Amino acid sequence: MTMLSSVAERLYWMARYLERAEDTARLVSAYNHLIMDIPSGSEPGWDIMVKILDAQEQFAQRFRVANEQNVLKLLLADEESPCSIPYSVKAARENVRTTRDVLPEDAWELMNELHIFTRDNAEKSVGRRNRHAFLAEFVSRCQTLNGLIQTTLSRDHAYRFIKLGQLLERADMTTRVVDVGAGDILDREGNFAAIDPLLWSSLLHALSAMSAYRRQVGPLIEKNAMVDFVFMEPAFPRSVRFCIRGIREELGPLKNNGATLRSIERIRRRLRRFHAEQVSRAELHAFIDEFQHQVNLLHRSIDATWFQPEA
Amino acid sequence: MEDIWNRYRASDFFDELITEKGGARVAARQAVNMLRKLSGAELAARQEASEVAIRDMGISFTVYTEGGNIDRAWPFDIIPRIIPAKEWSRVSDGLVQRTRALNCFIDDIYNKQRILADGVVPAEIVLESPNFKEQCMGMSPRHGVWAHICGTDLVRNGDGKFYVLEDNLRVPSGVSYMVENREITKRALPELFENHSILPVDDYPSQLYSTLASLSPRERRRPTIVVLTPGIYNSAYFEHAFLAQGMGAELVEGTDLFVGDDECVYMRTVDGPARVDVIYRRIDEDFMDPEAFREDSVLGIPGLMRSWKAGKVAIANAPGAGVADDKVVYAYVLDMIRYYLREKPIVNSVPTYLCMREADREYVLANLKNLVVKPANESGGYGIMVGPHSDAATHKKFAKLIEENPRNYIAQPTLSLSTAPTFIENGVEPRHLDLRPFILQGKDSWVTPGGLTRVALVKGSLVVNSSQGGGSKDTWIVEGKR
Repeated sequence: MTMLSSVAERLYWMARYLERAEDTARLVSAYNHLIMDIPSGSEPGWDIMVKILDAQEQFAQRFRVANEQNVLKLLLADEESPCSIPYSVKAARENVRTTRDVLPEDAWELMNELHIFTRDNAEKSVGRRNRHAFLAEFVSRCQTLNGLIQTTLSRDHAYRFIKLGQLLERADMTTRVVDVGAGDILDREGNFAAIDPLLWSSLLHALSAMSAYRRQVGPLIEKNAMVDFVFMEPAFPRSVRFCIRGIREELGPLKNNGATLRSIERIRRRLRRFHAEQVSRAELHAFIDEFQHQVNLLHRSIDATWFQPEA
Repeated sequence: MEDIWNRYRASDFFDELITEKGGARVAARQAVNMLRKLSGAELAARQEASEVAIRDMGISFTVYTEGGNIDRAWPFDIIPRIIPAKEWSRVSDGLVQRTRALNCFIDDIYNKQRILADGVVPAEIVLESPNFKEQCMGMSPRHGVWAHICGTDLVRNGDGKFYVLEDNLRVPSGVSYMVENREITKRALPELFENHSILPVDDYPSQLYSTLASLSPRERRRPTIVVLTPGIYNSAYFEHAFLAQGMGAELVEGTDLFVGDDECVYMRTVDGPARVDVIYRRIDEDFMDPEAFREDSVLGIPGLMRSWKAGKVAIANAPGAGVADDKVVYAYVLDMIRYYLREKPIVNSVPTYLCMREADREYVLANLKNLVVKPANESGGYGIMVGPHSDAATHKKFAKLIEENPRNYIAQPTLSLSTAPTFIENGVEPRHLDLRPFILQGKDSWVTPGGLTRVALVKGSLVVNSSQGGGSKDTWIVEGKR
């Protein structure tokens, strides 16, 4: 099967944008839950989500005050800002539009419907009333599209590049959530300690890891076990380790994969040496920083090898 | 129940389905009888079903407007246009004959230019045309064929005979809609297909594949074919994707291809460069290769012409084929058939006055209100004046244009375009139509059974272009009773 570099690139980005949109929706949804459970004054600020998405600059261009309305307006309804859900959906759709012929027949229709659904509802969902319903349906529509790809797309190059984009984006998002989320909790240094378990569990919710964690580790949520779980659990499909292993598998059958495989090996070695109970807050941050840098290098290696090959 | 067909009057023009006396033509009888059983409301429901099918199937075309590009749903009328197989078979022979002669002409022009030397066609109208590409001189593509895919516009005149109105030899489009129209009719009016023997149209992509494969410079079981598109913003992008998918070919843009040091064309794939044998180009030749044509082209592939001239890649339609796609050259096609093939033309052209010829020009200027005036080098129905439908000011404007640049204008008698029953506001009314069959020529020739029927949805209008309010119909070639 021939796969044009340009088509591979579009599939990869389609998957990244879809994953980003879905993960953002999960994050907002988890935070939305949290906010109703904790006494006001002790909750983390709304801008924590802006920090997680590394979107402080985009936020500052539009708004001054980091309150609920403004943050949600940016993330749910601002089609122009790259950190927003509608932006990701639009970008994913443009990529599907030009790769329809290598995707399952219904993919374009589902993608189109997701786009229309977002366009028609995002704005209305900034307020609390419709927010939950919107986010829940949004995630479910993303899952439908993923399910279609999972069950009907041949395991060839097209599938491979979709998988690469999806896993890489997921690993990146997971580490961001842990970095900023855990950082916020730890920075409180025991203030409002009573609500800490709530915060840790909302972090697991944001990563869709709650029930998996409970079954694997137990009902008590505690920082080290949680970070270890999210990073290292081999059986949980959203753990960083799982994503990295998946990327390595997909790279296997590709030609000219030498440099990229070396890049992924470096990441795996680092990850193996990580143990949550041995690191301080600062070390955790430094580790994640370095990890994200490595993921970025991995992306560049994929891009240079398969999307922009020398003539 | 009121029969909405009773009011249908087709006496002014040749009607495709209904005779002057009001009865159905033989080939159309079964279909019309069945359609008559449907009330206006039922027919409206079917029309709606067809529109849903079009949306679901994602059939669209792009209209360029000042406000930006709009992706519009494909306009479609559910009542099919029906042509008897026996009549079509003769037309089809005529189209093959015509395309053969046109290809002989192009090949001759870029080589010995015998037809010019023999004075059959005046040299200046060919050599001074912007469609004549110096860069192609001395080239002789495989099988001597330059125009591999030809979209010929046919009209049926008041005498009931088909005439060729235009030969489109550059990048004719519309064939995907021909295939999709049949699919839509099958969904919206399934019962029409009972007891009918209608020639299928859906094997066009395989026929196109065989034609293109026969051009490959390398003898391979499955040559590598690509469809070259200008991209998503082109009005025919839908069709480019449709054809690529139908042929199992890659849909590429200029940046996906490059010419290697060995002068072969390669596409960039995740497995490394892969050699391309045949390019079905859907971009204008002026944008194909910035080295050879327009330097400012960002769509093109530098070195493509070199590769083609070195015989390393086949291009369909060949660059330069447009030299025969010119409304002035059109006036000589029947002479070409006699000159190259020594045959009698089977299908006629429309009589054409060339404004560059003095006698013709005088006649045209004196009869502007009865004639259709066309610029020699426009497509899509732009810049045309239909004399009887235009006011004195427009006549004056065109008289001036003609006097300023006679080479650029031709005129033809206003034809009485045939009509067919068309569903309009819960009733059935006659509307004018044309027909664009597609002729493939590689090692062998092949003609689509029927083609794309375009219909002017505005009452009395003769303009069928979808960019200007035209619609389309499914076209049936029906075998007689067995």
